[in-house]
Amino acid sequence: MTRLAHILAETLRNLRRHPLTALSSLLSLLLIFLLFDLFWVGAATARQFYDNLLRDLRMEVFVREDIPESGIPALRSNLLKIPGVAAADYVSKDQARRELMELVGTDLLVGYDTTNPLPRSFVLAISVDHLSVDRMQDVETAALKVQGVSQVYYSQSWLNKAESTNSMIQRVGTALGLLILAAALMASLNNIRLMTRARAVGFRQMFLLGAGRLFVAMPFILEGILISTTTAAGGWLLLVWAHQKVELTQMQLVMPETHLIIYYCLCAALLGLVSGYLGIRRQLR
Amino acid sequence: MDNEQKTAPQPENDRHNEDQTTSTPRDSQPEPASSAPEHRDQPADVQSQPSSDMVVVQFDNVYLNTDHGHEVFRDLTFCLRAGCTAYITGPAGSGKTSLIRLIIGDRMPAAGAVEVFGEVWRWRSRRQRMRIRRRIGGVGGLFDLMPSLTAAENVTLPLIIAGLPRRQRQEKLLRVLGEFSLLKLANVYPERLTRVERTMVQFARAAVNDQPLLLIDEPTAGLDRTTYDRLVEYMFKVSQSGRSMIIVSSEVPSRELPNTDYYEIVNGALL
Repeated sequence: MTRLAHILAETLRNLRRHPLTALSSLLSLLLIFLLFDLFWVGAATARQFYDNLLRDLRMEVFVREDIPESGIPALRSNLLKIPGVAAADYVSKDQARRELMELVGTDLLVGYDTTNPLPRSFVLAISVDHLSVDRMQDVETAALKVQGVSQVYYSQSWLNKAESTNSMIQRVGTALGLLILAAALMASLNNIRLMTRARAVGFRQMFLLGAGRLFVAMPFILEGILISTTTAAGGWLLLVWAHQKVELTQMQLVMPETHLIIYYCLCAALLGLVSGYLGIRRQLR
Repeated sequence: MDNEQKTAPQPENDRHNEDQTTSTPRDSQPEPASSAPEHRDQPADVQSQPSSDMVVVQFDNVYLNTDHGHEVFRDLTFCLRAGCTAYITGPAGSGKTSLIRLIIGDRMPAAGAVEVFGEVWRWRSRRQRMRIRRRIGGVGGLFDLMPSLTAAENVTLPLIIAGLPRRQRQEKLLRVLGEFSLLKLANVYPERLTRVERTMVQFARAAVNDQPLLLIDEPTAGLDRTTYDRLVEYMFKVSQSGRSMIIVSSEVPSRELPNTDYYEIVNGALL
């Protein structure tokens, strides 16, 4: 208890005796974490946008002209058996005509009153776990094999682009995350090194008085944890505050859930622990 | 004066019971240790005074070279018993501080063994070295003050390291600050203290936990007469208290200390 109280006091004393070093460390880490937080929010928002678009993705299956209206229920049943098909809504010729009219604002089929040239179709809703390029292709292939299906259409090129964009965001995110992690580690580590360099004489005295390595190192490790956790939490507080002040009409920003922010701060504490130890390690030899 | 007389390494127990035959002091005043202070508050790490027949410091055929290969000690054999004081003189650069560094385990000999409280430094783990150091108080350049702590905090540090409760720490601190007239300087940082004041704080730090071994490096260098007399008086008291003490200095003391053996370092040997 005696030693613990001293270690805690020594941690605060470090910060008090070197306020500029501590402040510069706090600011640089805050900026680094803030950058990471902004990227996180941006990536989460982009991801949600992408997911919403994917959820709206439909596959259109056109029915052959020679299939009688009585064969439609059997065809629908066969389509629903395809893995990944969640629903199949039938669109008759008349319904297709109405939708076309709603879409363009005028009836383009005047004069075709007896023979509606628009094909009958099924609009397939795809389950979320099949909303990828490969799986959509599987659904398309399976649908084409169903008796009575003439053609299958969906926004394949859009899906390809969306998926490659999403995977690029993930790769950039990982690279940026690693870069920021390294920057945060270095910033915190340098701060601890500056502090330890200023107090190198003191370490020798403490060892000569019989102090253990943990006793000497703990204040610096705690300092690393304190600075990292404070700045990580501070970054989120700033972002949450800004989020409440700013209203976006086109897009809703996605903020991470509270438990994720807590895990994030715990990771920052771990980062502080590692940087604190690395910062003091040389002095402990 | 026969440190050249080599003694073959003996089993530890035998060595502790042997007579002080090596490095016979120039002026030995064997007196029984008296009035050892009470150590009821001592934590386990800082044990009470060793019995008077115990060897506190033992050098066995120690060789030490500088980093440049210059010989500092050659076949040095020396022994300090519990409750005794060794006053070692020698010119600048003769190896006085190196001797202290060997005792504190800050340097290892090139050959031979340095034993403190029956433990050979070289063979001890980090934790064991830590425990041994907690039983040693130090004054001098090697034992500088912590610049980030006030005088009072510096004095309390050995008690904190030893894990003494707050109340006992406060009691001991007040006693020792009063004893060395440092109450007014309690909250002053070392950078603001004069050289004399820093020396006084070091003495207070070495006195606060009543460690069984006290190492003092150049205790009186640059001191005014009043402080000099006070510190000699303190060393006089310590040498009577049953604690062991090794004093290294370039000058002989103005007053003879009780239970004290006097040595001189000449050409890497202790005479």
